[in-house]
Amino acid sequence: MTLERQIIFKTKGVKQTRSLGRKLGKLFQKGYVILLNGDLGAGKTAFTQGIGEALKVESQVNSPTFVLMSVHEGIIPLYHADLYRLTNATDVEDLDLVAQSSEGVLVIEWPERGIEVLPKDHVFLDFKTLEIEDERSITVTVVGEKYGEMAKRLESYG
Amino acid sequence: MNILGIESSCDETAAAVVSDGRIIHSSVVASQIDLHKSTGGIVPEVAARAHLQAIVPIIEQAMLDAACNWDDIDAIGATNGPGLPGALLIGFNAARGLAYSRNIPLIPVDHIEGHIRACWLNESPPPLPALALVVSGGHTELIRIEENNTFVRLGSTRDDAAGEAFDKVARLLDLPYPGGPPLSALAETAETRQLKLPRAWLRGTNDFSFSGLKTAVLNLLKEKDHPASAEIAWAFQESVCDVLAKKTRNLAEKENVKSVLVAGGVAANRRLREVLSEHISIELRIPPPNLCTDNGAMIAAAAYAHQNNTVNAESPLDIEPTAMRKKRLRKIDSRL
Repeated sequence: MTLERQIIFKTKGVKQTRSLGRKLGKLFQKGYVILLNGDLGAGKTAFTQGIGEALKVESQVNSPTFVLMSVHEGIIPLYHADLYRLTNATDVEDLDLVAQSSEGVLVIEWPERGIEVLPKDHVFLDFKTLEIEDERSITVTVVGEKYGEMAKRLESYG
Repeated sequence: MNILGIESSCDETAAAVVSDGRIIHSSVVASQIDLHKSTGGIVPEVAARAHLQAIVPIIEQAMLDAACNWDDIDAIGATNGPGLPGALLIGFNAARGLAYSRNIPLIPVDHIEGHIRACWLNESPPPLPALALVVSGGHTELIRIEENNTFVRLGSTRDDAAGEAFDKVARLLDLPYPGGPPLSALAETAETRQLKLPRAWLRGTNDFSFSGLKTAVLNLLKEKDHPASAEIAWAFQESVCDVLAKKTRNLAEKENVKSVLVAGGVAANRRLREVLSEHISIELRIPPPNLCTDNGAMIAAAAYAHQNNTVNAESPLDIEPTAMRKKRLRKIDSRL
């Protein structure tokens, strides 16, 4: 049976979203696959900047929409992919993101472009904008034994 | 010195023959934009295949238009990054193959520098030191160019590139890809021009941020009685142009440069050109729109500036597709 755990966070403003990224980023390890789902402007890139801070990356974490994937050197490398411009799973498969990023943490924005070809075990974050301006709900779903230890620590945050 | 410039980093397959980094004898561009319009974005494998089909005819056409043969070509310059890996490989390896088989020196070119070097085409060299604003789908950068031609990056976007913001807001407004031209056209039709959208100044830094502006448009569109799309498009464009122009002007003053160079696809935006010329009082160089978007002539111009940096076409060479920002900065700095 696949281990699955879910926990919901709320943030107000981009700073809090970034700081949540920093907090969770400290739990991420080599080989982790983090999927960030949510509309334009939901806070995915800001959250990834927080992960970058946690991994102490040297470079500016900005939107990789154009280049599809950027690599940032840190305590462990951060592979930041963005599938926004892709349209189907075959194109996502062709990028071979997982093989390229096995030495670091792989963060994927717009994973729905090819969810069927991305690893079944992953950490899935769903970003939703709420009625009140600037407020976001971020639902973290942890799938797979590999992330069991992380899930436990995550629950202590909840 | 005649240089064949080859570009294939993203949507365009392009080749050009340029003398002395300045006189354009031919410039041929095959755009895949129509190919990507239906999907609202680029498809890497489709792009790579399209580059593969276009590259040889495009190079042949550039040679034909310039009325030259291979003996007339003194060097080949080709983009080796940043860009889409599959796309870069096609143009760069075509250049390698030609250089090797015809024994012509090969010069790898940085795509961003290529954009800036478009300001050297058709004109006398701009007075240095200069400040360059590079604005495109993938980049928003402020780069200082020293008198010895060293490039130093002073600022860049912290989230979305300016062109990317245009594309994404265009999508929010149900406009086609690429978003810049249709969004500007829509903005022109705005009846009232009262709406004001936020500007991220990031004071005390030379960096940009366009993500908050995108979110502001998103929030606005959620409102029941939101302003007409044309007014939103107008306010959005004003916000982007205002920030780009003022931050560029302020840095040019602080850096005490002699000219401001603007390059990249977004530099083709009419309103941006207008706002920049209102703000910049020193020499302002913005290439004509067809040299702002990706082309081979700018790559040839950059290769001319690096004519001593030839590489051995026989040995395997790496393209540099992803922008590893810090490394790239060092690389740009070390280029003389």
